[in-house]
Amino acid sequence: MEKLRIGVYVCNCGTNIARVVDAEAVAGFALSLPNVVLAKTYRYMCSNPGQEMIARDIKENKLDRVVVAACSPNMHERTFRHALQMAGLNQYLLEMANIREQCSWVHKDRTEATKKAMALVQGAVLRVEKHEALESIDAHMCPNVLVIGGGIAGMTAALELADAGNKVHLVEKHSRLGGNIARVDLTAPYFYAARDLLTDRVTRTRNHEHIQVHLDSKVIGLSGYVGNFTANIAKTNGTPEKAGNPVAVEIGNVAICTGYKEFDASRVTHFGYGKLPNVITSFELEKMLKAGKVETREGKMPKYVAIIHCVGSRNHEFHAYCSRVCCMTALKYAHEIKSASPNSYVSDVYIDMHAFGKGHEDFYKRSSQAKTLFLMYDRENRPVIHKAGPKDDCEMLIEVHEKLSGEHIEIPADLVVLMVGMEAREDAKEIAHLANISQDKEGWFIESHPKLEPVATTTDGIFIAGTCVAPKDIPDTVAQARAAAARILARIAKGKIEVDAIYSEVNEDLCSGCRFCNDLCPFNAIEYVEDEKHSHVISALCKACGVCVAACPSSAIKGRHFTDEQVLAQIDGIFAEVAYDQAEPVS
Amino acid sequence: MEKQKIKMAVYWGAACGGCCVSVLDVHETLFDIVAAADLVFWPIALDTKYEDVEAMPDGHIDLTLFNGAIRNSENEHMAKVLRAKSRVLVAYGSCAHMGGIPGLANFSTKEEIYCRVYDESESTLNPDKSRPLVACEAGEGVLELPEFYNDVRSLADVTEVDYYIPGCPPQTERLVEVFTAIVTGAELPPHGSVIGAGNKAQCDECIRKKNAHKKITKFNRPWEVTDDGETCFMEQGILCMGPTTRTGCDYRCIEGNAPCRGCYGPTPDVSDPGGKMMSAIASIIDEKESGPIDEVLDGLVDPAGYFYRYSLPVSFLRRAVPRNR
Repeated sequence: MEKLRIGVYVCNCGTNIARVVDAEAVAGFALSLPNVVLAKTYRYMCSNPGQEMIARDIKENKLDRVVVAACSPNMHERTFRHALQMAGLNQYLLEMANIREQCSWVHKDRTEATKKAMALVQGAVLRVEKHEALESIDAHMCPNVLVIGGGIAGMTAALELADAGNKVHLVEKHSRLGGNIARVDLTAPYFYAARDLLTDRVTRTRNHEHIQVHLDSKVIGLSGYVGNFTANIAKTNGTPEKAGNPVAVEIGNVAICTGYKEFDASRVTHFGYGKLPNVITSFELEKMLKAGKVETREGKMPKYVAIIHCVGSRNHEFHAYCSRVCCMTALKYAHEIKSASPNSYVSDVYIDMHAFGKGHEDFYKRSSQAKTLFLMYDRENRPVIHKAGPKDDCEMLIEVHEKLSGEHIEIPADLVVLMVGMEAREDAKEIAHLANISQDKEGWFIESHPKLEPVATTTDGIFIAGTCVAPKDIPDTVAQARAAAARILARIAKGKIEVDAIYSEVNEDLCSGCRFCNDLCPFNAIEYVEDEKHSHVISALCKACGVCVAACPSSAIKGRHFTDEQVLAQIDGIFAEVAYDQAEPVS
Repeated sequence: MEKQKIKMAVYWGAACGGCCVSVLDVHETLFDIVAAADLVFWPIALDTKYEDVEAMPDGHIDLTLFNGAIRNSENEHMAKVLRAKSRVLVAYGSCAHMGGIPGLANFSTKEEIYCRVYDESESTLNPDKSRPLVACEAGEGVLELPEFYNDVRSLADVTEVDYYIPGCPPQTERLVEVFTAIVTGAELPPHGSVIGAGNKAQCDECIRKKNAHKKITKFNRPWEVTDDGETCFMEQGILCMGPTTRTGCDYRCIEGNAPCRGCYGPTPDVSDPGGKMMSAIASIIDEKESGPIDEVLDGLVDPAGYFYRYSLPVSFLRRAVPRNR
């Protein structure tokens, strides 16, 4: 076999590495190792000139392996792989020695840190000798999409996808489309009718040639992997527990838009919901507003209406988070009640007024001019509602410890509206299990990055949008639904998925079918081939975590790029003697 | 014209004799072997002296089956002599292959072993704490004994080995197959191969039922459960080395309702048989918290001795680090 030609690049990282580690000495040491034909230091190896230097050296010196001693591979492995690719060398013939996070940042003694850097480089050199050129594989991308949830998010995503010519299966567990918005009268802050927002979408969704709407249905099974899922959709006929015979559909991606449910106001006992007949929830008021009549249970026009904010939200007993839409909705109610009954008095009992959205601050200003009485309460000192006495000209009295004035105030009320917050649906857990995605402690689905990947999940091909992720208003929900659709469309446009070359694989000639690994894969990437009595890793699903590699008692499963041979060579290199004093520094 | 007979030797290092008996177990096939081979050296059966072997020209013997581990200088010397005299040197049986049962002595030091054998054993009276000597002046001259080493090693640790036939002892059928291949001049596998054994683990041939949800919540000694005779031993909490051990023995232990002990050695790509099996077992312990995990592990009696029963000298561990006493 021809001798290998390894190039070693030691980065100074400005002074991050060079301050503690003698980079020149490390490079000199590297040059003394077998098969290393070139070793260099540079101020910032990740910079363009640094990368170009590596690419140039690969070509000019016919390097066939590269070691970069710099930062964590988490930081720049991709960068240096790209440098290898630029020079036409397979990107996996690179190994990084982390001499920053694992060396210069955690040591002070220059001699000891330099010795350690040498040991790490020696490990990397011995490891890279065992590296193999790996090729990523392509898998089919089915252009069909499954959208779960027929609310504003689900319909928006479905229409976006279908308008681009893709087949969409839209699954809605209720008997009609529209979701929670269908229960709303007008929207804040511009008083658009929710009906107007919905009607066009519902009609288009139902009539769209590329959308198949599955009403009264739920997804009861989801198998496969990105680009190649099979979903089982079953009719529930109104009773979700009794799912009928499922239909199987082939899909490539999934958009989960399952929305929220409102907080159950009867859990907050001191507001008397369920006991005092004229204490109602915001959704009950919406129903009245839609019917065009705001009245008490007794059929009277209320003279005093009190709106209480943050019911179930922003307190440690129920939900710590803000539900984001209730403040503006409450202001909307003040306007709607005032216009329905100009002689009524509306008081708005709140903790803080959250008016962060576009046009919201303006709306707040206009509302405060509309003779609404604003009373601020402390979140730890909630208002108490009780029945008024026979001499009072109102139904109920609300005791509020008003925070701004410091006064204990009692206000009259004929109708009390509780602004119930949003919470995760009970069946969110079922969906999470089905799609192999995670929920946070409140039950909301977790995005793969809270800032940079707001609609993706840790499971490839599964996207989330709208209020199943966290409370949000209609514009944000629609934006997320379109974002999810855009992400899916980009993948469909590519036509295939590239599977990273690092994954586990089963050597079928060695697998004895002991089944140790079958139940361990966190990504459901392992299947057992009954006929041939061996296990199989679906490479497109594998995230290369290595659990099955460790579990395989006969070493029939190998982690590509993390073979025993490679890891043991690295360990040998790290523990071998380092001839510290004999290294001629390289500048 | 009569076909030329091959010259064959069978020798034992640190061994129990079982491997030599396995050669005798060929029964009447022995006549075929004798018809095809001249046994030029076989201490259990023939009175050939070491000097006779040393006097042979190099490469004189066609096939040597070397069984037993390398425990002392005599084992090592004969391993090297037989290497030089043999065209094909086979490490025959678990001890020559991996160190075998004698290799478990690497959990102790030479001094610990001497202390037990020459001082502490119940039947010993040795007030002077005498120890075996390599050389001793006697009236008749110098008496010599082989040197007892601190470490037990496999055959390949002291000389070059052409093939390995695993097993404690190897199945006689496998010996006959290999012997026949050599005598008939069939194409032999690459130098250094394990022969007379399969590449897959025992589970491939084992007919016990295996479940996808393989979990261990408690380790059981075989007497603690009523084996249903059908379910995978591991799934009954009984340690079985089958999942990491090569086929070739016709899974006789398992067929006899006893779990595999691993004498056929690890499958080809396993770097460290004991470590691999421990890693595998740890993966299927069905507990998440450290307390309950410890409880499950407490049920493992002598894990080092179990997992490295035949392979300690060739493992990453090689031996236990001597304790300061």
